[in-house]
Amino acid sequence: MSRMYDLMEPKVIDDDMLKLAVMEQGPQEEAGQLAKQEGILFKDVLSLQLDFQNILRIDNLWQFENLQKLQLNNNIIERIEGLENLIHLIWLDLSFNNIETIEGLDTLVNLEDLSLFNNRISRIDSLDSLVKLQVLSLGNNQISNLMNLIYLRRFKCLRTLSLSGNPITEAEEYKMFIHAYLPDLVYLDFRRIDEQVKELAKIKHQFSIDELKHRENVMELRAEEEKAKKDMLEEHKLAFIEYLNGSFLFDSMYADDTEGNKLSYLPGVNELLEVYKDKFVIICLNIFEYGLKQQEKRKIELDTFNECMLEAIHENQEQGKFKIAKFEEKHMLNLSAIREETDLPTIEKKIVECSEDINELFNVLMTLEMQLVEQLEETINIFERNIIDLVGIFIENVQGLMAQCRDLENHHHEKLLEISINTLEKILKGELDEDLPDSVRALFVDKDTIVNAVGASHDIHLLKIDNREDELVTGINTWCTHLVDKIHRDEITRNRKRVKEINQYTDHMQSELDNLEFGDIID
Amino acid sequence: MEVLKEKVEEEEAAEREEAAERAERAKMEKMMRPGEPRRDESFMTQEMLRDLEKKVSEIVIPSVEEPLILTQDLIDTSNLPPSYKSNSTKEEHLLQVADNYSHQYSHLCPDRVPLFLYPLNECNVPKFVSTTIRPTLMPYPELYNWDTCAQFVSDFLTMVLLPDPLKPPSHLYSSTTVLRYQKGNSFDFSMLLCSMLIGAGYDAYCVNGYGSQDLCHMDLSREVCPLTMKPKEIIKSEEKQPPKKYAIKPPRDLNSKFEQDQELKKQLQLKAEEEKRRREEEEKLLEEEKEKPDPLHGLRVHCWVLVLSGKREVPESFFIDPLTGRSYPTQDDHFLGIESLWNHRNYWINMQDCWNCCKDLIFDLGDPVKWEYMLPGPEKHRLALSEEDDETLNDEDDVEDLEKEDEEKSFDMPSSWVMQIQISPEAFETRCPNGKKVIQYKKAQVEKWAPYLNNNGLMCRLTTYQDLECTKILEIKEWYQNREDMLELKHMNKTTGLCIDYFKPGHPQALRVHSYKSMQPEMDRVMEFYESARVDGLIKREETPKTMTEYYTGRSDFLSYRHINFGPRVKKPTQCTAESNPRPIVKITECFHRNPEKSADEDVAERVFLINEERIQLRYHCREDHITTSKREFLRRTEVDSKGNKVIMTPDMCISFEVEPMEHTKKLLYQYETMMQLKAAEKVSRHQAWESELEVLEILKLREEEDEEHALTISIYDTKRNEKSREYREAMERVLHEEHLRQVETQLDYLAPFLAQLPPGEKLTRWQAIRLKDECLSDFKQRLIDKANLIQARFEKETQELQKKQQWYQENQVTLTPEDEDLYLSYCSQAMFRIRILEQRLNRHKELAPLKYLALEEKLYKDPRLMDLVKVYA
Repeated sequence: MSRMYDLMEPKVIDDDMLKLAVMEQGPQEEAGQLAKQEGILFKDVLSLQLDFQNILRIDNLWQFENLQKLQLNNNIIERIEGLENLIHLIWLDLSFNNIETIEGLDTLVNLEDLSLFNNRISRIDSLDSLVKLQVLSLGNNQISNLMNLIYLRRFKCLRTLSLSGNPITEAEEYKMFIHAYLPDLVYLDFRRIDEQVKELAKIKHQFSIDELKHRENVMELRAEEEKAKKDMLEEHKLAFIEYLNGSFLFDSMYADDTEGNKLSYLPGVNELLEVYKDKFVIICLNIFEYGLKQQEKRKIELDTFNECMLEAIHENQEQGKFKIAKFEEKHMLNLSAIREETDLPTIEKKIVECSEDINELFNVLMTLEMQLVEQLEETINIFERNIIDLVGIFIENVQGLMAQCRDLENHHHEKLLEISINTLEKILKGELDEDLPDSVRALFVDKDTIVNAVGASHDIHLLKIDNREDELVTGINTWCTHLVDKIHRDEITRNRKRVKEINQYTDHMQSELDNLEFGDIID
Repeated sequence: MEVLKEKVEEEEAAEREEAAERAERAKMEKMMRPGEPRRDESFMTQEMLRDLEKKVSEIVIPSVEEPLILTQDLIDTSNLPPSYKSNSTKEEHLLQVADNYSHQYSHLCPDRVPLFLYPLNECNVPKFVSTTIRPTLMPYPELYNWDTCAQFVSDFLTMVLLPDPLKPPSHLYSSTTVLRYQKGNSFDFSMLLCSMLIGAGYDAYCVNGYGSQDLCHMDLSREVCPLTMKPKEIIKSEEKQPPKKYAIKPPRDLNSKFEQDQELKKQLQLKAEEEKRRREEEEKLLEEEKEKPDPLHGLRVHCWVLVLSGKREVPESFFIDPLTGRSYPTQDDHFLGIESLWNHRNYWINMQDCWNCCKDLIFDLGDPVKWEYMLPGPEKHRLALSEEDDETLNDEDDVEDLEKEDEEKSFDMPSSWVMQIQISPEAFETRCPNGKKVIQYKKAQVEKWAPYLNNNGLMCRLTTYQDLECTKILEIKEWYQNREDMLELKHMNKTTGLCIDYFKPGHPQALRVHSYKSMQPEMDRVMEFYESARVDGLIKREETPKTMTEYYTGRSDFLSYRHINFGPRVKKPTQCTAESNPRPIVKITECFHRNPEKSADEDVAERVFLINEERIQLRYHCREDHITTSKREFLRRTEVDSKGNKVIMTPDMCISFEVEPMEHTKKLLYQYETMMQLKAAEKVSRHQAWESELEVLEILKLREEEDEEHALTISIYDTKRNEKSREYREAMERVLHEEHLRQVETQLDYLAPFLAQLPPGEKLTRWQAIRLKDECLSDFKQRLIDKANLIQARFEKETQELQKKQQWYQENQVTLTPEDEDLYLSYCSQAMFRIRILEQRLNRHKELAPLKYLALEEKLYKDPRLMDLVKVYA
């Protein structure tokens, strides 16, 4: 099937070969002459044909950035490689080669037509990213596992498939199997699929297909749920109050706190903890809701601001366009008048007039732009003030709520200390009824130990609360600075761009006029 | 309340005496009003006839001036039902009540004119006006709403003036009679309209009152035609949105406020002056238009319809003038006063002062101070305002109410004596008498026709004039219907000569509006199209002698506009038509919408082909955040270089300005390819322009043909007009008829003549039956033989004649002229034909006769009358 190496020397894709191919396949006749004059850049080539070249290795194709169609059929290629940069590829022909595995196609997301006819492929695989695939040709290969075809179900656009000449085609239910499992297919092995046969196949494999579908649905649902959760978290992160809608913070306080956990074995501490947790979670929820509300407010503020900015810019653009249109109308008339004029002094006079017009246009446009810059500057400043105020209020309130948390913690600490000392006294007196684990009992040796333990637990808790608060405050402050910076930066870029545009335009106009002058003088 | 109580008491007293007084009063009345005798008899007496004659002579005199008048002798009373010719006892009773009411009224208000209570009907029988109203719901949906219903009544009837403009008519005909003759005075109009409106659920009343001269004479020449009135433009109250929080501040205004103020003041002054001048002019015009003072102002009797609010979602009470079908607010100047009003249930007298026309009248019929009712019926018209001080009297009132309710039963208005109002579909469609109606408005004239009356489908024509005397035509609007070319409205402006045709969807060329001054091609014209019906999405095509502009929408190539400039036509020696010698195209400008799939720098916005200069200009779309657009200009002149080679492409053949310079567009190859494409595009555009011209010619030709032909379409549901369906139906009927005949034939009784010979009513004996059968068979056999003989005899006769002729021919063969010979030959062939046919018939008869005989025998065997008897015998 495949040609032998020793029949002909394998060739390498080099510059000469590529140039030759590009020249040959490029424009012909008059256009071809022009092309020869100028030369063709590889990145402008849309289609390339490299068949029957005895190529062994795909290489040196990275320059063809915009290539859409690539034909490498009838070579002796063994591996699919070197195609990573050709992301615009729509059609790829690798038929009649010696490829054994499908690989290296992950970046070709636009691929619609893939031919791997007459190779040595034994398994359909690694095509996941080719979501637009419509035509897949895999005939004359070594595919032997029927179940491998279920892999093709993921390609929603796949309409044409050819598998003839594979070992699986000898299986009795091969066609029925494909009809049933790939119901969107229109052509199989170069033949249109009969609707009736499709129905029959569907009935035949009904059971297994339903099961498969069910599994797929479940997977899909799960993926969706996960995505929704992720989105939610993302949203909360934007509001800087992630994980505050529950006992997460409280739990994290006790996660690294061994002493605190030990102390919970003391009588009465459990109840105390319960109450403490409830109150703490309520405050957390308050912070959470407040954060969401504030986020909404900030969003509305930002949206209004953006809308107004856009409106103002748009209006300014319209004015500019109008001015230019008016100018162009006049300018065209003037130019044609100059062209028709024969008297040199009048021509010169008119040309001067024209250049005055251009200058005036430049001034008008620049005035418009400066005006806009001033207006926007003012608005941006107002917005900046407002958003900083908003953030400030938010931080203040959150800090207040956090202080409540700390109060709760202090209160809890005092209570715990009291209980601990009581327990210590009881232990020392030997009046304690309950059994305590040994590790807990070890704390109750003297007053210092127990006070230290309780204090350590308290410190950990406070640290956690502080950390969370810091995180929030830093987060929102950074966001705010970034936002304001970005707005200023964008405005500056916009202004630069516009000024450049105006300059470019007037320069062009002026040079056109100069050319005319020049031409006239020659005449 | 006092008045009411008094009145009730009076009524009761009057009623008690009524029976006794009745006969006497009747006599008295006869003496008092010999002109309007009351008749209770249902048959015509000698006296009646005399009266009738007298009356007729009375009426005929004014009718000399008004030939349209509907006099009584024109009405055929012979076919009218008895309810028209006599009064039932209940109606008699009602008349007595009415009479009493009238007496009391004239006693209380001696200075007011007598009431219009029971005029005579077409059979000279007095009928109470309320019973003349026959509430009917018409089967036409168009008559369900008051406006269309009133319009119908006004169209359907021809107006006849009242015999005496100062008095209500002495006769009030039933609506059925009025409908039959399609003529009537304002009272007839009102009664008919009121019947229909009440039937449709409106709270409608007939009003007897006084109207202006214009109203009474149905003179609309001082009214503005409703068709000329433009629908009031709904002024969009543009809600100014509050400025957004971050809206930018406008730049500081550096103009002088003082100067602006001065300017404004000056303008205001100018405007005021102009306003003043205009007002003066208007006043002058109004003066001219003002009617001559009417000597009978305020005395002219008129009858119209009042619709009260409440039912059928009528928000406010209003009047309808039945003669014109227009509605007026109750404060309108045309209505000068109200005497009384009635519906099918009751009768009310207006007790309010009409010094200020009807403007101050309050239509709360439950208020006995303002409206004196005749029957204390179970109306809901209670006093709207319940006064506080009435509370003490409440108990008494309750008792009275109870009593009243008792009485109500006996006082119920009898049902109408008029037959159900019917309008045939044909009459409904024809609408106006003879299908045509002309109305004169102020500076306008409206002519209406029934559908299919005019063979060009003309339905309505509005002629607007410049002056009040209607001599100078300003414009003509013609409405068409059922036209095959879907022409709906033709608008001709006589001053500018501009014609605008409006079409309904469905024209073969999808034409929507066509405005033109002349039907010649290459003139000023605008054609608008139903763009969804056209493949090319053309909306509008404007033409002037030198240009053609086309507007497109929804095209896949995003073309939105094409403007073509034509140069002067090149003279050709041969005949010059637009088709064979199109005008040279000088310039084609095409505009495109933004194609969202392309980037702005590659999406052409405007393409100009300067064909004479061999230049192509391109302007691209503007990028989102830019104000300048890319441009490109190609010189497609092909040049030859010094060596004589063709220059393919040089950089100076393409001048371009790019907003953001790109690398690939600088290449000659790119420019060359673009130019090639443009060349092809130019060819296509020129072809399009040529095709457009051809299309215009074609449309013009088609329009001319259509105007000449003016074929009308007939709906497939229109069974009367649709030829095909009528033929089909007639064929069906014929088939049915034939089927019926055949059935009759099969049921023909062979035995009947023989059974008739037997004594009737007796049962057949067996012997009789057998004889009967034999007789029948032998008779049939005889008939068959007779028939055979007859055919034989004819055959022989023909043969003999032929032989004779042949003989004669052989004898005279030598002397015959060719004509005679021809004659002879044709005779021979005809005779031979006849003989052959006779022969065939004879043979056929011979074949069929035994079969027929057997069939009859069989049938007789099976005959139920003979079966039993004959079977036993058999």
